[in-house]
Order: sequence, then structure tokens, then C-alpha cells
Amino acid sequence: MKAFEYATALSPDSARDLVGKDGAYLAGGNDLLALMKEYLVDPKRLVNIKSLPGMDKIHPGSKTWTIGALTTVAEIEDHKEIAKTFTGLQQAAAEVGSRQIRNVATVGGNLAQHSRCWYFRHRDVHCLKKGGDMCYARHGESKYHSLFTGNTCISPIPSNLSVAFGALGATVVVLRDGKEVPMSIPDLYQKAWDEPTAHNSLQQGDLILRVEVPVENHRSAYLQISEKSVFDWALVSCAVAANVDGNKLSNVKIFLGAVSNVPYQVQAANDFLEGKTVDDATAAKAADLLLEKAHVQAHNGYKVPLVRALVRRTLAQITA
Amino acid sequence: MPSWPEKPKYISSHHTRIDGPFKVTGAAKYPSDVQPEGWLYGMILRSKWAAAKLTKINLDPALKIPGIKAAVLAPAVDERQKSSSDVTMRYYGEEIAGVAGTSKQVCLDALRAIEVEATELPYVVHEEEAKQDDSPRVWEDTPNLSKPRIRENGEVDKAFSECAAVVEGFYTTPVQIHNPLETHGNTVLWNDDGVTCWASTQGITSVHDGLSQGLHVPRSQVRVISEYMGGGFGSKFGPINEGLIAAYLSKAAKAPVKIFLTRFDENLAVGNRPSSFQKIKLGAKEDGTLHAFEFDNYGTAGIGGGGPTAGGGSGLTLRAPYIYHVPNTRVKQAGVNINAGGARAFRAPSCPPSSFGMESIMDELAVKMNMDPIEFRLKNDTSTPAWQIRQKQYKLGAERFGWKDKYKKPGSSPGIIKTGVGCAGSSWGGRGGGSHAEAEIHPDGSVEVRCGTQDLGTGTKTYMALIAADVFGLKPEQISVRIGDTRFPPSGGSGGSSTSPSVSPAILDTCTKALQALQEKTGVADARGANWKGACKKLGVNPLLTKGEWQDGLSGNDTGGVQFAEVDVDTETGFVKVKKVLVVQDGGLILSRLTCESQLNGGVIMGMGYALYEERVMDKNSGVVLNPNFETYKLTGLGDVPEIEIILFDMPERGVIGIGEPSTIPTAAAIGNAVANALGVRISSLPITPQKVLTALGKDKLA
Repeated sequence: MKAFEYATALSPDSARDLVGKDGAYLAGGNDLLALMKEYLVDPKRLVNIKSLPGMDKIHPGSKTWTIGALTTVAEIEDHKEIAKTFTGLQQAAAEVGSRQIRNVATVGGNLAQHSRCWYFRHRDVHCLKKGGDMCYARHGESKYHSLFTGNTCISPIPSNLSVAFGALGATVVVLRDGKEVPMSIPDLYQKAWDEPTAHNSLQQGDLILRVEVPVENHRSAYLQISEKSVFDWALVSCAVAANVDGNKLSNVKIFLGAVSNVPYQVQAANDFLEGKTVDDATAAKAADLLLEKAHVQAHNGYKVPLVRALVRRTLAQITA
Repeated sequence: MPSWPEKPKYISSHHTRIDGPFKVTGAAKYPSDVQPEGWLYGMILRSKWAAAKLTKINLDPALKIPGIKAAVLAPAVDERQKSSSDVTMRYYGEEIAGVAGTSKQVCLDALRAIEVEATELPYVVHEEEAKQDDSPRVWEDTPNLSKPRIRENGEVDKAFSECAAVVEGFYTTPVQIHNPLETHGNTVLWNDDGVTCWASTQGITSVHDGLSQGLHVPRSQVRVISEYMGGGFGSKFGPINEGLIAAYLSKAAKAPVKIFLTRFDENLAVGNRPSSFQKIKLGAKEDGTLHAFEFDNYGTAGIGGGGPTAGGGSGLTLRAPYIYHVPNTRVKQAGVNINAGGARAFRAPSCPPSSFGMESIMDELAVKMNMDPIEFRLKNDTSTPAWQIRQKQYKLGAERFGWKDKYKKPGSSPGIIKTGVGCAGSSWGGRGGGSHAEAEIHPDGSVEVRCGTQDLGTGTKTYMALIAADVFGLKPEQISVRIGDTRFPPSGGSGGSSTSPSVSPAILDTCTKALQALQEKTGVADARGANWKGACKKLGVNPLLTKGEWQDGLSGNDTGGVQFAEVDVDTETGFVKVKKVLVVQDGGLILSRLTCESQLNGGVIMGMGYALYEERVMDKNSGVVLNPNFETYKLTGLGDVPEIEIILFDMPERGVIGIGEPSTIPTAAAIGNAVANALGVRISSLPITPQKVLTALGKDKLA
């Protein structure tokens, strides 16, 4: 990696000042340090934010929970109340990397991590996402790639938590230019949908402070399918949150992961599920609506049945 | 000639590894751990082109970086430049130069500072394209596709017409990378006294030879040390480029230089198992005996295989018809070059792909003939080495596994998650020879047993201690076992599962002679056990040194094994969960039961990776290896490992036979057969991923 300065910030404002125009925030470091070692990013200064006060806390609330951006993924995995109140979030956390990674990985870092596309991550491939002129995956090896994109890049979002937070209707609070900016999950990733070089909508200097999760849905679930049993990225993931009365759903949000450069949702699928009783036919129709605009590449057609299976299984889980 | 003790106390016992505590605590120093005074980091600059003619290499900018002590060209590049020949790179990752410096970071900086200019050349990285006449050639003078070797026995076409049932299939296996946990590398000191090399190797003698020849230093002035090493699987013979580059850097920098490859580099340039594309046709007569076989295979060893660094053949040519007896056969095999790193011997070279193809079509034919796959095998596994052993093993294993109850018609398992079972057999040589050893008995009663072998992590040191302990009537802990040094009696490389059948007879011979010598010298009639210390005291001042060597009659050859697998396949997600693998393996006389079982476990775990996860992925538009890391070059993880049950087929009368390789041969075939049995549809391409399962089930579509 290239040489860099190192500083520890003691308040969000000082962190913002220290990071300036060419620095980066360092929390767990899982993603950032790997990017630096491969010369994919070269911040002039790393600003350690692990000492920012209070940002590693989880605050339960009757209407909204607040999860600090420095909360570790393991803390979410282990939190007994989260497992009850936001089951899908706990399930998503438990599938992140390995336990060793989860012990240091933070919520903010998970949300802000960069693409895992094997072309993007390769030191000697200058792909579209790195400012090159070609999406190699479209013309090459696409088995891990997206079914949906708003631009030409088909690298999928790797964050598990973004998918669960999306379904839960969470708000990500970002410090931008001295002000707290609330962003929905779709807001947080819109730019990745629009622009091939973007991984999310964050701007230089933006700092994720916390995630606010409303307690408006009483059931949620997250499931993923990977090639291996544990410690592997999702081929497809699915999160759903809803209120369930008897078997009838309301206030439904269903999100897919690893199939698009954003946590992917289709409003028509959410609307369709509203007031429905879950059975195989309902799940199949919801999956159809989600898949309506899918575009299959040379090697990722198998993600279509994975979407169908996971939509059915997550819906079954919240109505079980 | 000595014989194995009839009632040993330690040989064949479940003794834990004698070096286990050192490995667990980190006290064991691997070649990548050693830090000789003044050592430097070394790193290698590699081609970033799949094919290119280098027009300029300037090392000077690297040498200007503070902390950089030396920069040299890779031997092959240096040679080409000196003879004013074109310097052509033929794969992404080929060695260009090396640097040595005081930190990893200065070396990384130096690699980026070296100026390399090149004219890119056309390349090809996929076998199917490389086969075509108009494909870019990897080697200018040779077509990529070799002239096929054809072997024919009997009258194949006529024989097929006489068959009651014939099946055809196309089976493919990927390029597999060795990926030992300790990457390839050496720490080398080359000064006026000669060369000392701490090598992560499976052959200290072949590193010895390679350094002596490659550096033009007399063999007597080269010493190779490998007290511990972190796995090789066939890819770590000889000093290879990284060893020679480290040596030249050491000479230039006048300091020891340590080059251990990064995981990234490890996946590019230090060997692999060739791919295979097997078209097979198999026919049997009414009674279920195989009658006709046709086989047409090609695969790639990258830019080539074999050669001085390969530790034998690379395994491009498969065994066909594998372990089965077929009277009429036509076998056609070819290799195809691509612009990728060359192949090297890999745990049971040529066998896992041979097994996967043949055992797959065996099940296809058994199903077509409405025969139980085990019955079908018993009928046709009747002539190749160890066939009688496998006959017994199938019967024993089937009973233990509950095959009769578990084997159902393919695809008949109800529900979304379907269960299936499969089996497959293997044979391997495992012959030994050529080892020498020595024992030094000290007047204080302590004893050293030395042998110039190396322990690949398999337990060599442990069984050396067990044997010596039994002969001397001592405890294994009382034996100081020393290996991994070319100053000890030579013992040859660890390949072909030959280490234990080579080393153990030499240790038995040495210790038996040492005991005799002690008794003769001291006049103690039986110096064993309680009499040991007293006898040793009588030696006086000098210790007693005794040499011995491998003797015929103590080791065997031709081991047989069978494996059974049970899997669950989720037909909606394509996910395969291996529930159980049963191993029935013959290893003749088992020297060390626990480490032997560990090796069999390891073989199954690796075979499972071959079945479900491992595959080198090449990109046609950039020519790079796309997955040079454990994130996307996937290995079996702890969470994936099933219940593995081992039945050791004890046959001490056959002597010691190596079992390091055979246990990994049939695993992928058995799992593949179990998946086919579950689904009623065969996934005929490894690895069996969710993508392939769903595609085979016709589900990979939008509508």
C-alpha cells in the first residue's frame, strides 16, 4: 500500500476535518485496508474513528431503535433483543464473513463496503467500475453478478445488512457538511444504481453516524444462499419485513441482495403482498414481480430460481 | 534382515503427534518463520500480461529505493537477455525479476518502480478456444493441441455392437490449485561458504540438486534444511524460480533473503492439476460385464507440465478405463496448451479426474442395466492392482454404510431436499525404497534418530519415534527425531505416497542394528527397556553411531480403497450438503493410527473441495486468473466438513504402504454419484455448484 498519515478523531466534527478531501475513515478496516493493499484506493490520511464517543451503542426504543455506526456486526448477531425485534437483521449479521471478521466489522463499514466483483478487485484489470471503458463481467465471467442494474456495471452489492435494513425501513443518518442527513436505504445506494464507478451515494467526507430502525413491523427474516455452508458471500439474499395478522401481511417490504448494485426492491411486489395471505402462489407472484426487469447474463441465470426460492422461504419464515 | 515387531507397544497405536505441542504453540519454526541474522525480504515481479514480448527491463529505479539491497532478473529472463533472444512472457504471473529489501513495503514499492516495457501478444486462456486451428499459439512452433496418443485393444466397434447396453457421457474437471497453507518459498543464504537454504519443500534432496545445478555450486557446499513445512501436495519439489531468485538476491545483497509467495502469486505460477474434458462411451453385455470402452480426453497443463520442477508427471494423461477391466478399449488423449501457469504433480496425479469420469459413467451404465452400482463394480473390478482388496472393502463398507437401505432408484427421493448415495473405488502404488538413516546412542541414555527426509505434516517424525521406541523398549518421548537436513543420511523426496514405506524400513533397520551394536559393544545381552540406561553408560565417552537403510520385505505396494458418500441436494437452491463420507482404506501395516486417520480425513476434505468448490477461473478478456485468493478460490471449510468415518483395512502382513494420496482419489466421484442418485440428473462437470445443479435441472431461466 502507499504511505499514509494516521490520526485519531475524538469527535465527529474533528473526524470530518481530519479526513478532508483525500482521507478515509478507519473503523474495522476489513474492506479499507484490503482496498489499500491492492492499490485500489490510496487515501492520504486514515482517520481512526473507533474512539468517537457513543457511536458503538445500541439504544432500544419503543418506536425506534438506534444502532451506532461503530457497533460491531458480532454485537448485532449476539443481541438477544434484536433477534426478537429485528429477526432479519440478526440473521443477516450472522451470515457476514467469519466470526473473526464480525468481531471487528462495524455496521457503518458493512454498509459502506465496496464491490466484491472479481474484476473490480483484481489489481491488473482496469474495469468500468475503476474508470475503465468496459464491464469485463458482461463479456466474461458473470456467475456472481447482477440481474438488475441502472447503468452498465453489473457488480452486485455485497452488504448483507443493507438488505435487512432496507426491508426494516431503516434510516441511515449521515454527517454531511456539518449537518445530519437522514437517508433511506434506497437513498444510500441510488448513486450506485446510476453510476458505474459508485458503490453508494456517500460523498467524500460523509460519515455514517447511526442507523435508526423503526419498530413498525413485527416480523422479519433474512436468508441467503452461498456456495459454501459458512464464511461465504451470498449468491442471492432476501430480506422481508411485515406485520402479520393471522397469515395476512401488511406494511410489507421485500428486498433482494447480490442481484443488483443496490439492495433491490420492486414497489409492485411490496404492494401486491399487502393484505395477502402467504401461500406458494402468492410467493411465486411476488417473485415474478421482483424479477420482472431481470436481465440474465451468460452465467448468472441460476440466480433466478434462487430468488424464487428465497422469496418463498423468507415469506414462509415470517408467517410460520 | 529385521522384521516388524510382532506385538508392538507403539507401532500402530493411536499416539498423538510428537511435534503437536510445538506446532500448536508456535515453537515449531517453519522455513517461512526462520530469521537468520540480517535477513531481508524478497519479492518477485511477475508478468501482468498473458503473453508479451518484453522490450525493456530496468531494475535501477528499484535499487534507488532506500532499503532495497538487491534486484536481479529471473534466471530464465537473464539467460534470454544475455543470449540476445526475445524475452517472451507466456502467462500472467510469470517471473520477471526479484528484489530484496529491509521490509515488505520497500519490496512492494520496488516492484512498482521497476520499468518494464512490452509488446503485447495474442493469447488464449480457455481450452476450447485454444484447441482451434486459428487460436493464438502459446508456443510459436507448436500447435496448442498436441497430437493425440491413441491406444487400442481388441475390436472396439464390433464389441459395442455386441453390448446389451451402452451409455455415453461428457465429463469435465477444472484446473485445481494446490494452495498449501504455507506458500512456496525459501530463505536462502549464499556466501563464500556456500549455500544454506531453509526450504518449504517435499524434497530436500531435490532442492539440494536444484540449487547446486542452478547456481553452479558444488553439491558439497549446499545445505538444505526443512525441519517443518506447511504442505505441498506435489508442487514443492526443487528450489524452483523463487528459490533461485532468492539465492541470486542473497549473493548480491550479501545477506539471507526470504521469499515466500503471496497467496495471490501462489495461485498463478507454482503448479496445478490439469483440467480434463472426457468423452466416454461404455458398454456391457447382458450379464453386466463391461465389454467395450471408448475414451477421448483433452485437458490443459497451462504452458506445459512435467520438467525438473514437477516431481514426476503432471497428470495430464488420465488412467482409462481406470480400475476396471474392459476387453475392448480405444483411448485417445491429447493436451492443449493455454497461456496459464504450468501443471505440477498434484496429490495422486491423474487419478481424481480419471475416477470422476469413469465412476460417473459406471453408475450411468449400472442404472441403465438396472443393477446395483456396487454389484456392478464387483463384477467389473477384477483385474487391476488391489482388486481383491476392493472386493472385500465394498462388502464391508456397504454393510457399515447401510447401502442396501440407502440406495434408491435415482431421483426417487421425495420432497424438495433430496437424499442420495454414491460410491467409488481407488488404487495407488505407495511403494518405497532408497532411504537411509542413522541412530546415535549417547552414553547418558539419550538417543537421536536422524533421516534426511521431510515431514509434510503427515506424521513422519511421529512414526519414526514410535518405531525406535518399540525397538529400544523406550517411550516415544525419549527419542529425539531429527529430519529435514541434507547433512543427515539421504532419503529422497516425498512424492507418490512413498515416504512412510521408504523411511520406516530404514528406521527399523537402523534401530535394530543400533541395538545389536550397543549390546555387542557393552556386553549387555538385552539392552532394551529397563536395561537401556545401564547399557548406554558402558559406552564410555563416545556415543555409538549406527547407520542403516531401507530393506526389502518390510513395505508393500498397491493399496486399494473405496468410499461411500451421502448427500442432501436442495432442488430449489442447488445447494449440496455432504452428510457423510465413509472411507475404507488399505494401508498394509499401519504405523501410526491417529496420523494415518488424519491423512485420510484430509484426503476426503480435499476431494470434497474438488467435488464442490475448487476451480481456477481464467478471464478471456484480460488473461488473468480471476480468483487468486481464498475468497473466490473456494476450499472446503470446517462448516462444510461432513461426518467422516474411517475403516482402516489393517493388513500388517503386507508391510507399510503409503496412503497420502489414495484417500483423495474417489471422494469427488462418490459425491458426484450421490448427487446424481439424489436428483436423477447427473452433474457431469466439477465443481458441482448451485449454478450447475440448477442449470442441470433446467431452472436457470427467467420464464
